[in-house]
Amino acid sequence: MSFLLRTHIKLATSSLRLNRGRTFLTALGISIGVASIVLILSLAGGINRLISTQIERVGSDLIVVRPSTAKDMVGSIVDELTASNQYLKSNLSLSDVGAIQRLEGVAAAAPIAVMDGTVSTNNKSMNATLVATNPDLEKILSLPMKTGQFLNSQLKENTAVVGYWTAMQLYGSVEAVTKTFEYMGEKFMVVGVLEEINDPINFNNVDFDNAILANAGFMETLGALQIQQVNVRATTTGGVGTVVDEIGEKMSDSRGGGRNFAVLSGSQISHPAGSLFTIVSGMLTLVASISLVVGGVGVMNIMLVSVSERTREIGIRKAVGASSGNILLTFLFESLILSILGGVMGFAVGYACAFLVSLLTPFAPFVSWEILGITGGTSLVVGVLFGIYPAVKAASKNPIQSLKYYR
Amino acid sequence: MSEQRGETIIQLSGVSKRYGFGDSEYFALRDFDLTVKRGEFIMVMGPSGCGKTTLLNIIGLLDKATMGEYVLGGKSVERISSRKQAKFRARQIGFIFQSFNLIPTLPVIENVSLPLVYAGFGKLRRLRMASNILDHFHLQEREYYMPWQLSGGQQQRVAIARSLVANPSIILADEPTGNLDSRSSHIVMEELRDIHLMGNTIIMVTHNPALTTYATRVINMLDGEIDTDIKTVADWDLPKPGDPEKISVRILPKKREAKEAAEEVKAPEKEKAIVEVAKEDEKKVVVKKVAKSAPKKAVEKKSASVKAKSKGKKVGVK
Repeated sequence: MSFLLRTHIKLATSSLRLNRGRTFLTALGISIGVASIVLILSLAGGINRLISTQIERVGSDLIVVRPSTAKDMVGSIVDELTASNQYLKSNLSLSDVGAIQRLEGVAAAAPIAVMDGTVSTNNKSMNATLVATNPDLEKILSLPMKTGQFLNSQLKENTAVVGYWTAMQLYGSVEAVTKTFEYMGEKFMVVGVLEEINDPINFNNVDFDNAILANAGFMETLGALQIQQVNVRATTTGGVGTVVDEIGEKMSDSRGGGRNFAVLSGSQISHPAGSLFTIVSGMLTLVASISLVVGGVGVMNIMLVSVSERTREIGIRKAVGASSGNILLTFLFESLILSILGGVMGFAVGYACAFLVSLLTPFAPFVSWEILGITGGTSLVVGVLFGIYPAVKAASKNPIQSLKYYR
Repeated sequence: MSEQRGETIIQLSGVSKRYGFGDSEYFALRDFDLTVKRGEFIMVMGPSGCGKTTLLNIIGLLDKATMGEYVLGGKSVERISSRKQAKFRARQIGFIFQSFNLIPTLPVIENVSLPLVYAGFGKLRRLRMASNILDHFHLQEREYYMPWQLSGGQQQRVAIARSLVANPSIILADEPTGNLDSRSSHIVMEELRDIHLMGNTIIMVTHNPALTTYATRVINMLDGEIDTDIKTVADWDLPKPGDPEKISVRILPKKREAKEAAEEVKAPEKEKAIVEVAKEDEKKVVVKKVAKSAPKKAVEKKSASVKAKSKGKKVGVK
């Protein structure tokens, strides 16, 4: 049986070799689908890895509190997609932050509430991202300053720290300390400018280069804050677990036992930001898989042509002793080899494209056995799925009719 | 070999084959009874559409009878699974068709070894067996030719070689000479006679009454029924399976060998062209074959003459 299997494979390859051009074009159809999936997965993997390395850099004593509702996976996905990074109905409040700060084992706790708005100086007005936070943020994220200082509780409330590029856009230089801007009718004074970080993708979902950091307490007087997360740093790395539990308990108590928030640490933190990319990349993969289906239909089409072309051959083979199973396997192997060929081609092309894209973006494509397995698996599945019908058709041909078949 | 002389290997009793239903109902075979003994050479004759081919297809397990019982080698065919039937076709039955039915994309040797693939032989053994049988048919030099590079008679001989390669006990030939001229059909018939004399059972459909001289039994069919059934050789005189090689060597006339050799010499240019075409398909092997099949004698003669010349030169120098 095993050598019969080898014979089938040999038969299939020789018939594919007879129609080289056709084989290549059909495999190309599959390879385009596979290549786009590889491209998407490797880039998404690159992004995810970027975020997790950031968290490693920030430190393992980081804890993040995020609002969450006891929803199913789909619901939270829809939420994330529709509400983007601004949790419109955030159930975290500044009093929660205060409570966390007062806990033992907590070194610092800073809220992050992002809002977009128009900011104007004397001669300019522009749209900017404002981040309501508190001085503790510096202790947690260690944001380097270009000039001036970070927010400080000793300073006035209406002070702000401006990101590098926002400063450039607003004032034309990074020497922006003591300069002012207006937001929602309130005057703010710039006390510091951040160093350029060039880290647009991070677990805070904030691009600090293009943001204005202001005091949360003051911002709340301008309108209800939607705190998207609270960053917490524990005093010791070992105490993270207990602190996580304590935060959970404390906040749960203040909500009368409810748990509409999530306390995350370690690799969990990258998840929401990461999961957004996972969802987007999943959707893209879905779209890409349409092209895979198109390629599969191409395989099926060409296999049907091959079957009808070789009707007489099938008749002859059956007459000399091939069983229906033999014929089925021969054609199934043919379509399998076609699709695997396409898979290999697609894998190579996909990674080539991913590397090209990575030249323009900050993240490197992610190479993993997982992606190899997914592409190999999908091309196998496509080969079988779209090969089975032509193969069955070939196998079920009546030998007598096939022998009388004229091309 | 323990096969008895005159042993029954095929028995059809009350076999009918119906096509269509109701008003368009039509019987290709009607209540057909036939007993075939081992070693018989049966010619089936009759007008077109009398069910000859249907009969062969049913005997060859390619078709199923609508009614009746078919006992093959002591076993009712209905109780044999389709997979086993396929295996049986590969090992026990050899088909020869009017239109040769070689696979155009495969070289001669692989066409011949086709039944061995499904009979479950390994590649090396397959090729060796196919090569041997082609040798019997004086086609060994054309092993790696493609079917379309052969003449009709040669193609039919390849097809016969294919039907014999697995050493089957039954050979079914459907007008094997139908597409051949009288000379080629004579050669083919002689091959079939040789095969028959080796002890094989042959059932052959033909329209040519002249060929019935080869047969041990002639069946005339009419409208799906046996019209006349004449045995020209008694059951106990049927050929016994013996050593095939011995017989074929004895029987194959030397005259034909000589004739073919003459033909090949006549068309050396043509052969070159063919070899070049064949190269594309079977590069490595053909390279070998060119070395083998190029008229050796001529090469030898050339080299001999060259040697002689050089000798002469040497002598001259001295």
